[in-house]
Amino acid sequence: MLTHPAYARPETLYEALLFLKTHGIDTRPLAGGTDVMVDLRAGKLKSEYLLDISRLKELQGIGLSKDGLSIGAGVTISEIYNSPLVAKNAPSLIKSCAFFGSPQIRNVATIGGNVGNASPSADTVPPLLVHEARAVLASENGERTVALANLFEGPYRSGIRPDELLIRFILEPADGRFTDFQKIGRRKALAISRMSMALLADPKEDGTLGTVRLALGSGTPTPMRMEAVEAFLKGKRADRQTVEAGSRLMAEEMVRITGRRPSTEYKEKAVQGLFLRILAPLVE
Amino acid sequence: MDTYSVIPIRFTLNGDKVSIEAGAHETALTVIRERLSLKGTKEGCGMGECGACTILVDGKSVNACLMAAPQLEGRTVMTVEGLGREGKLHPLQEAFLEHHGVQCGFCTPGLLMSAQSLILETPRPTHKQVVEAISGNLCRCTGYQQIVDAIQYGADKTGGEE
Amino acid sequence: MKSNNGMIGKSIPRIGAIERLLGKPLFSADMELDHPLVLKVLPSDRHHARILDIDTAEAARVEGVVEIFTAEDIPRNHLTGIINKDRPLLAKNKVRSKGDAVALVAALNIHAAETAAKKIHVVYEDLPSVHDPEEALKNHASKVHEKGNLLFTRKIKKGNPEKAFEACAVVVEKTYRTSFLEHTYLEPDAGAGYLDPDGNLVIIASTQNPHYDHSELVSLLGVAPEKVRIVQAATGGGFGSKLDLNVQGFIGLALYHLKRPVMCTFTREETYRMTAKRHPLKMVFKTGADENGHLMAMTAKMICDTGAYGSYGLAVASRAPVHATGPYEIDHVDVECRCVYTNNPFAGAMRGFGVPQAAFAHESQMDLLAEALGMDPLEIRRVNALKAGHKTATGQLLNGSVGIDQCLEAVKPHYENALKTWLHGETDFAKQRGVGLGAMWYGIGNTGVQNPSTAHIEMDGEGRITLYTGCADIGQGSTTVLSQIAAAVLGISPDMLCMVVGDTAFTSNAGATSASRQTYISGNAVKNAAEKLADVLLTEGVDLLKRPKTDLMLENGFVVYKKDPDHRMPFSKIAARAAKRGIPLRWQGYFDPETVPLDPETGEGVPYATYAFACHVALVTVDVLTGEVTVHKIIAAHDVGRAIHPASVEGQIRGGAAMGVGFALMEEYDPSTTRSLKDYHIPTAMDMPEIIPIIIESSEPTGPFGAKGVGEPALIPTAPAVINGITNAVSARIYHLPANLERVLEASIQSGKFTMKEVA
Repeated sequence: MLTHPAYARPETLYEALLFLKTHGIDTRPLAGGTDVMVDLRAGKLKSEYLLDISRLKELQGIGLSKDGLSIGAGVTISEIYNSPLVAKNAPSLIKSCAFFGSPQIRNVATIGGNVGNASPSADTVPPLLVHEARAVLASENGERTVALANLFEGPYRSGIRPDELLIRFILEPADGRFTDFQKIGRRKALAISRMSMALLADPKEDGTLGTVRLALGSGTPTPMRMEAVEAFLKGKRADRQTVEAGSRLMAEEMVRITGRRPSTEYKEKAVQGLFLRILAPLVE
Repeated sequence: MDTYSVIPIRFTLNGDKVSIEAGAHETALTVIRERLSLKGTKEGCGMGECGACTILVDGKSVNACLMAAPQLEGRTVMTVEGLGREGKLHPLQEAFLEHHGVQCGFCTPGLLMSAQSLILETPRPTHKQVVEAISGNLCRCTGYQQIVDAIQYGADKTGGEE
Repeated sequence: MKSNNGMIGKSIPRIGAIERLLGKPLFSADMELDHPLVLKVLPSDRHHARILDIDTAEAARVEGVVEIFTAEDIPRNHLTGIINKDRPLLAKNKVRSKGDAVALVAALNIHAAETAAKKIHVVYEDLPSVHDPEEALKNHASKVHEKGNLLFTRKIKKGNPEKAFEACAVVVEKTYRTSFLEHTYLEPDAGAGYLDPDGNLVIIASTQNPHYDHSELVSLLGVAPEKVRIVQAATGGGFGSKLDLNVQGFIGLALYHLKRPVMCTFTREETYRMTAKRHPLKMVFKTGADENGHLMAMTAKMICDTGAYGSYGLAVASRAPVHATGPYEIDHVDVECRCVYTNNPFAGAMRGFGVPQAAFAHESQMDLLAEALGMDPLEIRRVNALKAGHKTATGQLLNGSVGIDQCLEAVKPHYENALKTWLHGETDFAKQRGVGLGAMWYGIGNTGVQNPSTAHIEMDGEGRITLYTGCADIGQGSTTVLSQIAAAVLGISPDMLCMVVGDTAFTSNAGATSASRQTYISGNAVKNAAEKLADVLLTEGVDLLKRPKTDLMLENGFVVYKKDPDHRMPFSKIAARAAKRGIPLRWQGYFDPETVPLDPETGEGVPYATYAFACHVALVTVDVLTGEVTVHKIIAAHDVGRAIHPASVEGQIRGGAAMGVGFALMEEYDPSTTRSLKDYHIPTAMDMPEIIPIIIESSEPTGPFGAKGVGEPALIPTAPAVINGITNAVSARIYHLPANLERVLEASIQSGKFTMKEVA
C-alpha cells in the first residue's frame, strides 16, 4: 500500500536539523530518491515525513583543504564522476561512480544517500574506506565526526541518529598512491555489486608495499577494511606468490567474518579473483 | 517549518509554465502522465530499473518514477513531447525513424530523452559514450544496435545545437 | 498476371514509428476514458489450497470501491486457455499457484482499489504442493488438476536408435537443464474498456491475438459475438506472454456488470506474478555418430514444467521434441517430451516454444561429438546439415527452402578468422577467449494443426484501397510487411494503402502473432486477397484499355499497358466503373499451410510447411577468476526465405540475439524470490556486443515472395553459441542455463583454469 508521508522542504540546514530534533524518529531524509521512492512504492516506507534535503547548499560542494578532500553528502554520483578534483585525489571513487546504477540514477543519487542507506553492496563505500573517510554528521546540537569504518552497525543499519544528517565526507587524498576499484555484477550496467573491492597502496622504490588499504563490498555484513590482509601485505614485495597467498587470506578473512552462507561457495573464490585483478598492476 | 500533504508546485514543462498541487507520495511520473496527461513518458517498472520514464530535469536525464513530485518545484522539465515541436520530428527522432530504432516503441521516449541528455553534454558522442548513456534504458526488442546507430547519426545531424 | 514487386526487400519507414517517436498516447495505459474505474486483482498467496471462503464485506466498505468480483460473478465459462481450457479467470474452489487471481476490485481510484484488495479475507485450506515435474508424476504426488499432473506427451520415433548406437564410433549422453524465464516486454500488461453507444463491450488491450481474446470474452460472458469488440492497442512487446488472456478478461467482466469505463494496468510486479513464464526443461540427450561425424542416432527424454496451467504447454512439449535433432539428418530417432503440471507459476509461450531449450542441448551435443572425434565444430555441422531431399525425424520430406548449408557457409569466414586470430589475442592474465557455434531450425506456424490466416482488401469507389488484417503487430513490424506485400501485388506504394489492423469489429481472424507465422501465413493471406483484387483491376482494364490481360500490369495506381506505359487507366476510374456495374471490390484472402497431424505414437507427419534455419558464431571472453563473461561479437546468419523488410529482419536478429545473451548468461526467474525488475536481469546496451546479421534468402516456393519467418529463429542459436564459446574458453561445459557467475566460475575451477589453490 502506498503510504502518504507529509513533505517538508527546509531552506537551510539549520531548519532541517531543527525539524529532525522534533520529528527525526518519524522522518526519512529525501535526496535523490533512488532508495526512498522504491521503498515508498513497495509500502516499506513507514516514516511520517519526507524531509527534502536535496536543495540544501550546506550539503553541496567538493573541495580540497589541509583536512583532506571534502565531498558534500548531497553531491550526486554524476557530480563526483565529473569532478577533476576527485579524479586527482580519489580516482577509485570515480571508478565506483562510473559503474553505479545507470546514468539516470547517477544524476540524482547522492553519496550521502548511498552511505546512509548502509547497504552491504553500496558502491561508494569501499573507496571511501580506503581513503579513511570521515563522516561529518550534524544535529541541532552541533557536528560530530566519525570514521566511516565505525559508522555502520550492520546491514542497512547506519549509526546515524534520527536527529542527525550526514553533512560531508572528508577523504585522505591519494597523494599519488595507487588506488583502484573493481566490481563484479550480474551484468555490465544497472547491476548491484555481487562483490566489490577498493585498494589504496603505496609501492616503495625497493618494490615493497608501504601503506596497503583494502576494503571489501558485498562480502561482509557491511563494507569493511580487511586489516589482516593489509597487515600481511605491508612491507612485502608484490610478487606473484605473495599476492596469491594474500588472496587466500582474503577469502579466509571474509569467511571468518561473515560465516558460511549459500553464496559463500562463489564468493570465497570470486574474492580471490577480484583481489588478484585489483593487485595485478602492482605485481612485478 | 511547515509540512504538507500536498504542496503547490511550479515548474516549466516543455517550455510552458505549469502549476499543480501534489504530495510527496506522488512521483514526477504520475504528475506528468495523470495530471498533465502527457502519456509519452512510460512506466515500465516504477523503480528506476528500466528507464522508460526518463525525462530531462534541468537538462539531465532522470527516472521520473523516482522523483517525488514536489521535487519538480522550479525545475525545467522536458518530456518526449517537448522534443519535436508542433508535430515535427526532432533530428534525433528522424534518425530513429531512418535507422529503424523503433520496434514496439515503449522504450523509445525514454531512450530519446537519454540521448538528448547526452547530446546536450557531448554534441559528438563516441559509440562508447552512446552505449553508456543509454545503459539505464532497457529495450527488449532491438538489441540496441539500431538505436545506438540512430543516436550517433542524430547527434551528427543535430550538430550539438539545442 | 504481372505485378510490380519493387516494394519487396525495401526497408521503408515503419508504420506507426512516427507516432511512437512523438510519444503519442497509443498504448493501453495511455487511453483517456471518461472517469474510468480502476481494476485491481487480488492474487493467491498460496501455492495450492482450497478456498473455503472469500469475505469481501470489509473491502467493499472501503471508500471509492464500486464492486468486488469473484468467480461467482462470471456469467458463463470461467475457464480460459487457447489449447486446453484449464485456467480460471478467477479462482473457483481452489488455487493452484501464487499467481492465481482470486478476486477483482473495481474502484474509483488506484488507492481505494489497492486498499480494498488488502481487506479481502480469503480463508484457505492448504493442500500439499508440488514444485518439481518429476515429483509431480509420482503416484503419491498432490494433484494440481483433477485429471492428473501429466498434461501431454509427445513422441517422435524413427528407425531403431538403440541398435544404431551400437554401430556408432562415439556416443555422448548428457543431461541439460534450463530455468523459468520472464518475457520482460517493456510494457506491463494493460487494457481499457468502455461501452459503445449500442451497448457493445469495447476492450482495448495490449495483445498478440485480438481474435482469440474475442472468443474468450464471448465464452466467459456468454454474450453474442457481435456484442464484444477487441481493439489491439499499440503493444509494447509480447514475446508469447500476451497470447494469454492477461487483463482482457478482467476488463470484460467489470464492463459487463458495471457498464462504465474501466482500466486495468498491471504493475511490473503484477506482470511478473500473474503472467506466463518460459518452461524450464530437463533434457537427457544421447547422440551417436560414426567416425566421420555422421549422426547415426539420437534419443532424448524431455520433461517440461508447465506450472499450474497449460497455456501453450502443449505447443512447447510438441515443438521441443520435433526440433530435438537440430537442423541435421538423423536416421534413428526416439524422443519423448512430457508436459507436467506443478504448483509453480504457469508457463506458456515464449519466443521459440521450447526450441531454444532443445537447441541448447542439441548444439552442446554437436560440440561434444566433435570434440570426441577430433573434428571441427563447423565441419560436423556441415556434414550433417539438412538438405532438400532429406527426411526429418517425423518423416517429412524437405523439398522447399532448406538454407542451413548456406548459413554455415556464410559464417565460415568469420568463424575461421576468429579461430585463427581473435582467439589468441588476449593479454589479460585472468581472461580466456572462446569461439562458439550454434545452429538451429524452426518450423514456421503451429505444429501439425491447422492455423489459417485471413485478410480482406477493399477498394472504394474512388480507387482508395484498405487492407484489413487481424494480425497483431507487437513491435516486430508485421503491419509494415503486410502493407508491402499488398502494395507489391497491387502496384502501389505502401503509403497509399489504408491499414486497419487488429480490431475485431473490422478485421477477420489472422491467428496469433506467434510461431514466427505472420509474414509467411498472414503474408500469404494478404497476398491472396490482393491478387483477387488485382485480377479484377486487370480484367476491367481489358475492357477499358482494349488490350489483352497478359499485356497489362499494375503500376503506381494505374492499370498500364506494358508496351506503352502512357496507355493507362487510374484505379479511381476502374473503381467507379466497377462499382456501377456491381463488380465486387472487396475480397477475402486466406492461407493455411499444408501440414499433416503428427501420429500420437510415432510423431510421423508434416508438422510445418516450411522451416527457417540459422547459425550464430559467438566470440566470448571469460574471466576465469570471477566467472564474468563478455560477449564480444555475434555473427548471425539467418535463412529467412526472403527479407521483405531487411531492416526489420536485422532488427529481429539483433533483438533475438540480445534475448539469447540473456538466456545464456543472466536470466532466471526464481518463483520464490523474483518479484520485480530489480530481481530479473535482461541485457543492457552495455551487455550487448556488435551483432552482424547475415540474411540468407533461400526462397520458399510457398512463401509470399519467397518469405518464411525470423522472429523466434533470431533468438534460438545465440545461447548455444555463447555456451559453446564459454566451453571453448574454459575447457569445461555448463549444462544448466543460465551460465551465471557461479556456474562459469565453477566450470573454470573444475577445468583447472582457476589457477590458485583451494582455500583450506
